[in-house]
Amino acid sequence: MTDLILQALFSGVLIGGVYALVALGLALAFGAMRIINLAHGELVLLAAYMAYLVESRTGLDPYWAIPLALVVVMAVSWALFVLVDKIKDHRELNSLILTFAIGIILTNAILLIFASDMRSTSSAFLQDAVSFGDLFAMRGEIIAFVLSVVLMGVLWWWLKSSWYGRAVRAVSSNRNAARLMGINPARIETVSFLVAGALASFAGVALYTMSVVQPATGHALTVKAFIITVLAGVGSIPGVFLGAVLLGVTEALTVTLASSALQELAGMVLFLLVLFLLPNGLFGARARRG
Amino acid sequence: MVRKMIASATLAIALTAGATGAKAQDAGKPEAQTFTIGAHMPLTGTLARSGQAFNEGMQVAVKMCNAISPKYQVKIDLIDDESTPAKAVSAVEKLAADGSVAIIGGYGSNIIGPASDASDKLGKVYITAGAVSDELTKRGLKTFFRINNNAGYERGIATLIGDLKPQKVSIIASTKEAPALLAEGLEKDLEAKGIKVTVHKFDPAITDFKPIINKIKLQDKPDIIMMSAYENDYVGIIRAAKVLKPNVKLMVGTWSLATPKMYTEFPDLMNNVVGTSFLPFPVEVKSEEGKKFAEVYKQTYNKDIEYLSTLSFVETMVLCEAIFRAAEDGSLEKGGLAEQMRKTDRDSLLGRIQFDATGDNPNFSLSMGQHRDGKIVLVSPKSAANGEVVYPGLPW
Repeated sequence: MTDLILQALFSGVLIGGVYALVALGLALAFGAMRIINLAHGELVLLAAYMAYLVESRTGLDPYWAIPLALVVVMAVSWALFVLVDKIKDHRELNSLILTFAIGIILTNAILLIFASDMRSTSSAFLQDAVSFGDLFAMRGEIIAFVLSVVLMGVLWWWLKSSWYGRAVRAVSSNRNAARLMGINPARIETVSFLVAGALASFAGVALYTMSVVQPATGHALTVKAFIITVLAGVGSIPGVFLGAVLLGVTEALTVTLASSALQELAGMVLFLLVLFLLPNGLFGARARRG
Repeated sequence: MVRKMIASATLAIALTAGATGAKAQDAGKPEAQTFTIGAHMPLTGTLARSGQAFNEGMQVAVKMCNAISPKYQVKIDLIDDESTPAKAVSAVEKLAADGSVAIIGGYGSNIIGPASDASDKLGKVYITAGAVSDELTKRGLKTFFRINNNAGYERGIATLIGDLKPQKVSIIASTKEAPALLAEGLEKDLEAKGIKVTVHKFDPAITDFKPIINKIKLQDKPDIIMMSAYENDYVGIIRAAKVLKPNVKLMVGTWSLATPKMYTEFPDLMNNVVGTSFLPFPVEVKSEEGKKFAEVYKQTYNKDIEYLSTLSFVETMVLCEAIFRAAEDGSLEKGGLAEQMRKTDRDSLLGRIQFDATGDNPNFSLSMGQHRDGKIVLVSPKSAANGEVVYPGLPW
């Protein structure tokens, strides 16, 4: 039983790392603009398809697709922001409808261009098993996890130390006060969406290397990212990571100790429990108390 | 101005002459009567892959039906049901209102169920090749027909596993209706053969199968892992098994696994894996109809025939023929199509097609094919096999 639980914890942490990578972009846009981008999963999916495109056309490792994914996904993310920015009234509510619709359009565009077949890497290198004693993982999972941790560190440093990062936090805290301090909120929101697009690019490529994608995957990714964002609490990067790992571990332990059919249910119970006990999320509440 | 008028008049005369000429040419031929067949397929949404493959088979069948029938023709009115039951029901209602004489259903028992109910209320014959739930034929519908069923898949898999005589089998089953039902049936069948069976059901949203495979590896210790699931699940399960390497002898699956496409896309995962099949690969079609289907399909879509498109091809051919028979005896407009469907008795790429009183095809049974370095060898039942099963045989 100990072996089972240890492997479950290990697998849960690894999958949690990737969940965090998927959720980071959504959390950033939510934190900066109070906009829940319901097309975020589709942006991640778009990046995954860029990885497929590069791998299938050139035979190169999917990670070589990152520059292409960055260009394409950031461009789409920027276009998305331009549309969201046109909303003048009830931006938080109307942007939900708008981004949801854009998500549907993106899904169907991907379906038309890439067909409905499922895609995943065929790279033997990324699919090979890696062992740490009695713990096993796919090499692609380890790389994705490391990438996730590094990107989270970079994002955290950027938000904390760079001028733009501090401006994002300022706009997130109080848009009008930020404007009085000489910050152009529209420009900062554009930057936030571009950075969210960049994060979605890395997440999509990582997802392609360790999982299966198909046009309908985007919506499920958005839901997962949304759960993690709420679990974490608005504006907390470490919260996103811990929330994602908590979700991953909960799911893996449910499979091991109960039934795999209950995995999604366990995630949702955790989500409701946190909402009930800590309405501001794990780290949102702590910040408020602090 | 005058020049413009002359030009217009010349063009008008030329067009009229052309049309008259065409009419004169056609006058020699009897005008074919065209019937509309309604179809709802999941061209988008989670089942888009299945819906698009179904659409391809259906379109080829219509071409072939029309090519051999000078007196009657059929055309397809297709609606995308977006993989949702509500859209499928609306589609059936719209298709019936627009004059379709019968409906071809899409994919998924949960979608086919309400859609065929709606079709029955409207008095339209409904045929499907994409819903295997046992419940569908227990509703007493007079207009519902299907060419494949859960029992056929179950028989094929149980025969193979029974012949291999393993002591223990672990079944990994999706909680979706069709795979869950198949797993339940197989559990009973295999236990009746004296094989110890454990079942691990999983939510379709699962992304990491390692915890399940690890339980199988450390607790179940089976000889065979049986996957009752779909394409994306197979990839996740086999990948997880390749990482954890449980001490099993064979990986067996169901639909859409023993296909050339799976080997082309996942060559490192597929070797020696077994799945339900009806044709070996490279494709060896023996019947004239099968050869023609393969030829037209290749011309149209530039690829070899595959599992789902073949199912759809067969159901469409069966329906077309029944429509032509009903039209011939004048009963089509008087509700005679269901009766003609019940008179169906023909060979096909899937074997003999007949319909019992519930609309089910009692003859449906599938062979089992094993991936072998890019080829698919039929290994069970012995009567259909073109090679021996590699056992033990694993992708790693």
